[in-house]
Amino acid sequence: AILAGSAVAGMAQDVTLRMHYFLPQQAIVPKQGLKVWSDKIEAESDGRIKIQHFPAMQLGGTPPQLADQVIDGVADIVWTLPGYTPGRFPSTEVFELPFIASGPEATSKAFWDFAEANVMDTEFQGMKMLALWVHGPGMIHSKDPIASIEDLNGVKLRAPSRVTNQYFSEVGATPIGMPVPAVPEALSKGVIDATVLPWEVTTSLKISELVENHTEFPGETLYVATLMLAMNQGVYDGLPEDLKAVIDNNSGADLSATLGAVMAEGDEVGRQVAVDAGNTIIELTPEQIAPWKEAGFAVEASWIEEMDGKGLDGQAMVDEARSLIDAYSGE
Amino acid sequence: MRIHAFFLSLSRFMAVLGGLVLSLLILLTVASVTGRALNGLLHSDMAQGAFPGLSQGLLTMGIGPITGDFELVEAGIAFTIFAFLPLTQISGAHATVDIFTATLPRGINRFLVAFWEAVFALVMVVIAWRLYVGMLGKMQYNETTFLLQFPVWWAYAASFGAAVVAAVVTVYVALARWVELLSGCVLPPVDGGADH
Amino acid sequence: MSDFLIGLLSFPLLLLLIFLRMPIGLAMFVVGFVGLSWVTGGTVVALAKLKSETFSTFSSYSLSIVPLFLLMGQFATLGGMSQALFKAAESFLGHLKGGVAMAAVGACAGFGAICGSSLATAATMSQVALPELRRYGYSGGFSTATLAAGGTLGILIPPSVILVIYAILTEQNIAKLFLAAFVPGILAAIGYILTISIYVRLHPDAAGVRQPVPWPERLRALVDVWPVLLVFTAVVGGIYAGIFTPTEGAAVGAFGTGIIALINGGLRGRAWFECFYATAKSTAMIFFIVLGAGFYNGFLALTQVPQELSNWVVAQGFSAWTVLVIILLLYLVLGCLMDSLSMILLTIPIFFPIVSILDFGMSTEEFAIWFGIIVLVVVEVGLITPPVGMNLFVINSMDRETPIGQTYKAVMYFVASDILRVALMLVFPVITLGLLRLFY
Ligand code: NA
Ligand code: NA
Repeated sequence: AILAGSAVAGMAQDVTLRMHYFLPQQAIVPKQGLKVWSDKIEAESDGRIKIQHFPAMQLGGTPPQLADQVIDGVADIVWTLPGYTPGRFPSTEVFELPFIASGPEATSKAFWDFAEANVMDTEFQGMKMLALWVHGPGMIHSKDPIASIEDLNGVKLRAPSRVTNQYFSEVGATPIGMPVPAVPEALSKGVIDATVLPWEVTTSLKISELVENHTEFPGETLYVATLMLAMNQGVYDGLPEDLKAVIDNNSGADLSATLGAVMAEGDEVGRQVAVDAGNTIIELTPEQIAPWKEAGFAVEASWIEEMDGKGLDGQAMVDEARSLIDAYSGE
Repeated sequence: MRIHAFFLSLSRFMAVLGGLVLSLLILLTVASVTGRALNGLLHSDMAQGAFPGLSQGLLTMGIGPITGDFELVEAGIAFTIFAFLPLTQISGAHATVDIFTATLPRGINRFLVAFWEAVFALVMVVIAWRLYVGMLGKMQYNETTFLLQFPVWWAYAASFGAAVVAAVVTVYVALARWVELLSGCVLPPVDGGADH
Repeated sequence: MSDFLIGLLSFPLLLLLIFLRMPIGLAMFVVGFVGLSWVTGGTVVALAKLKSETFSTFSSYSLSIVPLFLLMGQFATLGGMSQALFKAAESFLGHLKGGVAMAAVGACAGFGAICGSSLATAATMSQVALPELRRYGYSGGFSTATLAAGGTLGILIPPSVILVIYAILTEQNIAKLFLAAFVPGILAAIGYILTISIYVRLHPDAAGVRQPVPWPERLRALVDVWPVLLVFTAVVGGIYAGIFTPTEGAAVGAFGTGIIALINGGLRGRAWFECFYATAKSTAMIFFIVLGAGFYNGFLALTQVPQELSNWVVAQGFSAWTVLVIILLLYLVLGCLMDSLSMILLTIPIFFPIVSILDFGMSTEEFAIWFGIIVLVVVEVGLITPPVGMNLFVINSMDRETPIGQTYKAVMYFVASDILRVALMLVFPVITLGLLRLFY
C-alpha cells in the first residue's frame, strides 16, 4: 500500500491499494464484481481508499503466484483460485467435491462460514480474507453427446481442478491438463474432445461455437471451483480504525454471496448463447444422474482418506460443508 | 588457466546435462502425442468395428497420452534453462549493444565489461538465494502439481542446484575480469556468439 | 518524484545503460528491480517477487518452444538439410543472372521453414552458400548482403521464435500468428530475388555465370530435399491439422530432425555436444532477456506508465495511422542499434496498449496479428540495417576477406525492398490477414 497525504494535520492518511488478478478488466467478475466493490469502498471511505486495478497479471508472475503475492505484499489485494496451488489450501477442496455444492449464493455463504470456523488462521494465514465464493454449477461441453458415464469412455477432457481430474479419471475419461485460455484452441484442434466449465466461462471462450453438446445436471451440481478475494493482513492491520470498518462492512459472507450471484448471472448469458447457436442441451434425469453421483462418492471417500493422512478430519469437513450448504439452500 | 579450464568444463557439463533433460522432454512429448493419437484411433468406430478385441486390449494396457506431460515439461524446462546459464555466462553470450562503446578506448571497454560482470554476479547470487527461499515456501505450503501431484519444491530444488552453479560461474567470471583489468594479464577470451 | 515520472525516466536510463554495454537482459532486470524497490519503498516487494518469478519464467510451457526450435535448427544443420536445400535451389536457379544468389535466398526460405531463428539461418546458409558464391565470381559485399537478408527469412517464415514471444506478450494465438506470417515471408523471398535481379543488372561485375544443370540432376537434387519437406509438413501441418499444440509441434520437429541427423551421420562424436552448447547459449540468453523484461514491465505497470501514455495519445486525438507510422519509424531507428528480440520485449508492453485502442477498422484480434507481423518485419529490417545489424555481423565474421563497408553498401538494396514490403503490408492488410480469414 502507498500511504500519502499525511502532511495535512488532523486529516487521516489516504491509502492506495493495488488489486491484482489474472482476467482482463472486461471479464464478468472484474467488471460486475470487483470494480463495483472497489467503487463502493472508495465512495464509503470518502475517497480516502483508492483501489488501483491491475488486471491480466500486469504486475507480473503467473496466476498460481497470486496467493504468495498477497502474502508478501507484491499486491495488496488479489483475486485467485485456491485450486491453482494444489495442496496448499486442502480444506477448500471440500466444496469442489462432486455433487456437494448447491446454488452459488448458498454455497458461497456456506464456504465463508466454513472458512471462518476452520481455516482463517491456518491455511489462510497472512491473508485478510474479503470474500470466498464458488461459481455456478460446472457441466460438460462436448463434441459428441454425453448422456451416460459410458459415453465418457476415452473422451479426452480438460478438467479444472485436482478433484475434478480424479473424478473424470474415475469415470473413464482421459483427463488432459491445460490452462483455461488454451481450451478453445485445444477443442478446435481435437487435442481435447470435451471440457467441463460453468456456463459463465463459456461465453468469453466461445465454447458454444466449438462444441455442439452440453450436458446439464438439473437440480444437482456436478462440481464447482472455489475462488477467493484476499487482502494482505499487514496492510489491513495498518489501516486506521475507520477505514478498517469500511473494509469490514463490505466483506465477508454477503460479499461472497454477491460475487457468487454475479457469476450465476453470467451463467444465464452463456446458456442463452448455446441455445441461440442451436446446440443440444442434454438435461439428465435423476435416474440418469444416479450413477454419476455414485462415482462421486468414491472420489469423496478417497478424498476423506487423503485428508485423514494429512491430519485433517476429512469426514467432519464433508459433513460440516454439507450441513452448511443445506442450511443456506433452505433459506 | 587451469582454473578457467575447470569452470569451462563445469559449464559445458551443465549444458550437456540440460541438453539431455531437454532431449528427454522431447521424447516424452513425442511419446505423449503418439499415445494420444493412437488412443483416438483405437476409440474410433473403424478400429472398434474392425478389431474390437485388439483395440480394447491396447486401450486397457493404457495406450494414451502420458499423464502430466505438461507438468513434466514445465519442471524439466526450468532445470534446463538454469543448467544452460553457466555456459552462457562464461562464454559472454548475453546480448549487448557495443556500437557506442566501440569508439571508446580499450581500457574503458574492459572496465565496463568487468563492471557489468560484477553486477551480473551479484544478480545471479540474489536469484539463487531467492530461488532457495521460494523453494522453502513451496515445501512449507505442500504445493503439488495438478495431475501427477508431485511436490512443486522438487522442481525448485533441481533448478536451485543449477542456479548455484550458474552463480558460482558468474562470480568466477567477474573475478577473472577484475583480475585481468587490475593486473593486465589476459585470460582466455570469451568466445561469444549466441544466436537467436 | 511521482511514480509516473520514475517510470517515464526509467526508459532513457535503461537505454543509456544498454548503450554503455550493459547486457540487455541484465539492464532490464536491474532497472526493474531498483525501480520497483523505489516505488514500493524498499526491497521487500522486489525480493518477494523474485522468489518465484525466475522459476515461473523459466518453467513456462509456452516458452519451452524456444529451446525446442533452436535445437531443431541445430539438428537440421547437422543433418545436411541446409546443403540439400541449397543444392536443389542452385540446380534450378543457378544459371540465371545472379542465380546463385537467388538460390541462396531460396534455400534460406526453405531453411526458415524448419528453423525459428534469423541468425541461425544466416549462419547456417552462409557455411553452405558463401563458398559457392565466391566460386562463381560473386562479389564479396553482394554475397554477404544476400545472405544477411536471406537470414531474416528464418524468422519471417514460420516457425519463428520472435512470434512466439509476441504471442505470449499480447496473449495472441501462436498458430494464427504463424499462419499470418506465411504470405509476408514468401513475399520477402520474392522481393529479395527481384532485388538480386536488379542489382546484377546495375552492377554486372558483381556476379559470374554458371552453366545450367541438366534436368535429371535437378530432379535428383530435389529428391534430397524430402527430409525438409517431411519435417515442415509434420510440424506446421501438424499444428494446423490439430494433431498437436505448437510446443508439441516443436518437440516433434526437434525429434524428427534429430533422427534425420542421426541417420545422416551428422551426430557423431562431439557434434551432439556442440548442438547442446549452441542451443544452451542462445536459450539462456533469450530467457534472461525475458526474465529482465518481465521484471521491468511489472515495474512499469506499477507506475501506470503504459496506461497513462495510451490515455495521453487518445486525448491528443492523433490519427491512428500517424501513431502507427511513428511507432514503426521508432522501431526502424532502434533496430539500427539493438537486436530484435530485446526490442520486442522492451517495447511491446508499452506500445501495444497504445495502438490496440486505436481504430484501424479491423477486429481486435485481427489488429493484434497484423500489427505483430508488421512489427516483426520492421524489427527484422533492423537485423540488416547498418551500423548494428546482427545478421551483418554474423556473416561478416564468417567472411573475413570482405570489409563490412562493402556489405553495408550492398545491403541497402535489400533494405529498400524491405521498406517497400512494409508499405505494401500497411496499405493492404489482406496480405497478412488473407490466409487467416480463409482458414478461421
Ligand atoms: Na522460421
Ligand atoms: Na540494424
